[in-house]
Amino acid sequence: MSATKIVLVYQSLLGIYGDRGNAMVLRARLAWRGIDVELAEVEPGEPVPVDGSVYLLGGGEDAAQISAVKYLRADGNLFRAVDAGAVLFAVCAGYQITGKTFTVGDNDEVIEGLGLLDVETRRGSERAVGEILTSWTRPDGAASLITGFENHGGYTYLGADAAPLAKVEVGIGNNGDRTEGAVQGRVVGTYPHGPVLARNPDLADWLLELALGRRLDPLPSGEIDELRQQRVAFVRH
Amino acid sequence: MTSDAIPLPSRARLRVATWAGELAGAASRALGKGSGASVRGQVLTRLAPNAFRLLLRGRRVLAVSGTNGKTTTNHLLAAAIRAGCGDARLVTNADGANLHYGIASALSQRRRADIAVLETDERVVSDMIAHGKPEVLVFLNFSRDQLDRHHEIKSLGKSWRAALESAGSAGPVVIANADDPLVVWAAQTAARVVWVDTALLWSADAALCPACGAVLAHTGRWDCPECPLTQPEASYRVVGAQIRLPDGRVVDPQLNVPGSFNISNAAMALAAAVSFGVDTDVALAGMREVTSPAGRYATAVFGQTTARLLLAKNPAGWAEALPLLSSDPAVLAIDSVAADGKDVSWLWDVEYEKLAGRKIVCAGPRAQDLAVRLSYAGVEHTVVPQLQAALDAARGAAPTDVIATYTPFQALLKMAGLR
Repeated sequence: MSATKIVLVYQSLLGIYGDRGNAMVLRARLAWRGIDVELAEVEPGEPVPVDGSVYLLGGGEDAAQISAVKYLRADGNLFRAVDAGAVLFAVCAGYQITGKTFTVGDNDEVIEGLGLLDVETRRGSERAVGEILTSWTRPDGAASLITGFENHGGYTYLGADAAPLAKVEVGIGNNGDRTEGAVQGRVVGTYPHGPVLARNPDLADWLLELALGRRLDPLPSGEIDELRQQRVAFVRH
Repeated sequence: MTSDAIPLPSRARLRVATWAGELAGAASRALGKGSGASVRGQVLTRLAPNAFRLLLRGRRVLAVSGTNGKTTTNHLLAAAIRAGCGDARLVTNADGANLHYGIASALSQRRRADIAVLETDERVVSDMIAHGKPEVLVFLNFSRDQLDRHHEIKSLGKSWRAALESAGSAGPVVIANADDPLVVWAAQTAARVVWVDTALLWSADAALCPACGAVLAHTGRWDCPECPLTQPEASYRVVGAQIRLPDGRVVDPQLNVPGSFNISNAAMALAAAVSFGVDTDVALAGMREVTSPAGRYATAVFGQTTARLLLAKNPAGWAEALPLLSSDPAVLAIDSVAADGKDVSWLWDVEYEKLAGRKIVCAGPRAQDLAVRLSYAGVEHTVVPQLQAALDAARGAAPTDVIATYTPFQALLKMAGLR
């Protein structure tokens, strides 16, 4: 069996908030379990691999969002991979461009996104900046907290085809309606940085299980549990 | 300085405000709360809101700004000017307090100095251009830093560009880093520019053309494929550890601060000093006097541990600091109050993988975040949040290298009696 491929898309455009860490976390959590894994990084102008299992988009500035959409459309492979069942995990600016439309600049110019999530993003009443805590119900019914740091001016509104990823306990989330993120099939969008998969190993393992189509053995988590306790205590204080 | 240039009522107000600031500063020192410079400046500007503008008046100003290297470059430039013009004529904010009140505080300390060398926060550059009318302005670089406060790196460049445009032909000579596209774009509106090729290490924040938004081509030099913006031909050029001058001569700066990035900072400071009228060799000799600008690279004793202190505030700064790390074990101290940036996601933009094989003591309030990062990087580590305890745990190396973000760095300077 060939290696599971994690594809980190356009770091130079969508990588200013440490979101490359999500790729490092996914790769390590497979490697630690003895599963063959490969990390591919692709930049604008290079062909996006079609055989990835998980594709990752991260945070970036307005101009970078427009460029990323342009290059991803011209390339087309991300759409083909998602159609074929790959997982797409998109954070912050990456989440926004994965939706149908988003806005940029002082004049709120409306830009067409990738259309892989039924969400639309518009400038919010106030910028959402700070630690965020949400509660997520895993597909097996267990509850899990998601901790991270959100930093976004756009507010995201979900259409009928997308379901919220989590409920907000502290922070703004999608738009202040107490929902955070969006899930539609195997496409997942969310706002928190951290990176979010470093702080939330349950979420990382869920994405990997989606991609591999099977359950994974648990990994030791003492150090990350301690970090999670610290961040949860900080934000609830 | 021609104090007659200040109208009498505001001069009297400024004098009272300066006294009050002195008093507050002395009280702060007596209470052991640091140098008192910051409190002095805050009281001063509270009582005389236009102190920044008034105190700049009548001086010949050189200003230094950018994301990384401001403090060291400012020290190098001040040393060069000191060598060329004499210490008595010079005032500088050596402590690195670079906001309006920090600059006013420094200026109030030497009312008669007619030359001011001023480290200037990126957000204060526009006011510096408008009110300080600098003769020379050094633009070092732009990179991601404290994104919880500065959401768009480009907006700072935009504000510099606009300020230079309105200064027009009376504006400063800008000493600009030709390797940084955003710096080049910001400096384009200046009346006169001296370009310096700094052999910049960090280019991760220079993906897009600041003028038109196209993806830049990076092939040794950078170039926009869709508009005329391109890397300018430089007058000064960093070549390895040396600096090539505009006349073709190559000089070895022989600095007493470490790191290739400080060769770049020295090239920028040299170009600024020469542009101000200081002889090249005199400027270089002056710069060699700089050893530990505002505590950076200082070696100090903490209980049983001797430590060398390095500051790194953002991914570009860490990329510069990590190659300097030579001890094993070493201490890395992370905090996330406002001055450090509240979001520590940037830990994942730093190549801590390079530390593999070394033992790291994770310190500071965000030590646990660093610990998780190091686990994923495969770097052996322990977690000791409290600074003195962390230094105790890392005893043995001679000296123990410490890299810290802003707040723990200031705490270490205070513990060592260096501020």
